[in-house]
Amino acid sequence: MEIRLSSVLLAAALLSGCGWFHRGEKAKTEVVAEEPQGEPSIIEPQVNRRAVKTPKIKAKDFELGGYFGALSIQDFGTNPIYGVRAAYHVSEDIFLEAFLARSKAGTTSLEDVFPAITVVSDSGRRLTYYDLDVGYNVLPGEIFLGRGHAFNSALYVTVGMGDVKFADKDRFALNFGMGERLLITDWLAMHLDVRDHVFETDLTGRTKNVHNIEATLGLTFFY
Amino acid sequence: MRPLLALLLLQAFSVTLVHAKEQLLEVVVAEPYLEMRSGPGRGYPVVYVVGRDEVVTVLYSRTEWYKVRAPRGQEGWSRRSDLALTKLVSGEPAPIPPYPDFATHRWEIGAGYGVFNHQNLVTTWGDFGLTDSLDVEFVLQQALGTIDNRYIASLGMRHTFIPEWRWFSPTAGIGFGEQYIDDKVPPKPLQTSNQLAYVSVGARGFITRRFMWRADWRKYVVFTNQNQNEEPEEWKFGLAVFF
Repeated sequence: MEIRLSSVLLAAALLSGCGWFHRGEKAKTEVVAEEPQGEPSIIEPQVNRRAVKTPKIKAKDFELGGYFGALSIQDFGTNPIYGVRAAYHVSEDIFLEAFLARSKAGTTSLEDVFPAITVVSDSGRRLTYYDLDVGYNVLPGEIFLGRGHAFNSALYVTVGMGDVKFADKDRFALNFGMGERLLITDWLAMHLDVRDHVFETDLTGRTKNVHNIEATLGLTFFY
Repeated sequence: MRPLLALLLLQAFSVTLVHAKEQLLEVVVAEPYLEMRSGPGRGYPVVYVVGRDEVVTVLYSRTEWYKVRAPRGQEGWSRRSDLALTKLVSGEPAPIPPYPDFATHRWEIGAGYGVFNHQNLVTTWGDFGLTDSLDVEFVLQQALGTIDNRYIASLGMRHTFIPEWRWFSPTAGIGFGEQYIDDKVPPKPLQTSNQLAYVSVGARGFITRRFMWRADWRKYVVFTNQNQNEEPEEWKFGLAVFF
């Protein structure tokens, strides 16, 4: 018994001496110090601490999609329009939205009556716009279809501004809109929108504000 | 060609399959119950209630709401503040991220309206906070006038005085940039692109969680190759969100 005790003491002294020489390796000395006072363990447990990784929650606040419909360009008739839209939902009420779309204007009634006259060149009839909007969900709710189906929906209003390029000229434009978002699933939405793009032009003689109303149908995905 | 296409499709499909198997967060209800609503909004009705000690799976989030799945498969939307009171299976509090703090936020994106030298201005910006009071701002804007249409890109530093004030904090900034002029009316301008520098003063404030306003006045020096530099002014107002 005595021999064993002295050998333990000797070992401890030796180890602490080693510790003195390896002062830099702090961790090692600590391990020795933590050993139980009785018998020194021969097998060191090699248990790796399991790294518990909690899965991240995906945020689906972005909405991306496209739309098509009809745009009435004042004095130039009603024409098809198609575009893309991206939205970011800030809260359950507010969202920010960006649009990019193009259309092609028809002819004015003046050009129809007098075919020799051209108000806008052929390349100038191309209309493109971008818009930056802020939207507010005024009437969130549900739409019921038959007995067994309920779809989340929201009636929203938007206001914003952007650039309308028409007749080879960039113009500052304001837009006001109203739309209905119907969520077919929680990640797929259908949109019905009516928006008015207002800008100043002098294409038909005098300078005036023109209202260009569009009605569109869109499909978006939530990311 | 056709087998290759089929292979590609198969691969894409398998990727989505793997994606679907992605591990989801599971939390234990620690309060007496957890409400699940039919939609991500305060007005939607409560359609299901999960009791204490039951495990719910968190699928994804939308704004302040989280889509969760109850043990028996029912799905619904729970509020962030309710879900934050749940626990992990190990007993630790659930890792529901808190709202980003207005005074210490990192990223910000915004857009707004302004006037640049009597022209209408559409402005967008991205902002990265180095410290609570020092930001790097990158601004892209388009000034639409009757004579010209110009694009301005600028990069600068902005200091926020008293960032902990919620409703109103003054700011000041300095930076440089480049403008590109696309003339609407001939003749062409002498220079279509110029370098520029600016100083700015402004203010910012917070409207709701994650939503803020910014107002800014800038004085530019546009470097030209003529005898005099141009010195246009600009003011703008915009809305931004932060992350």
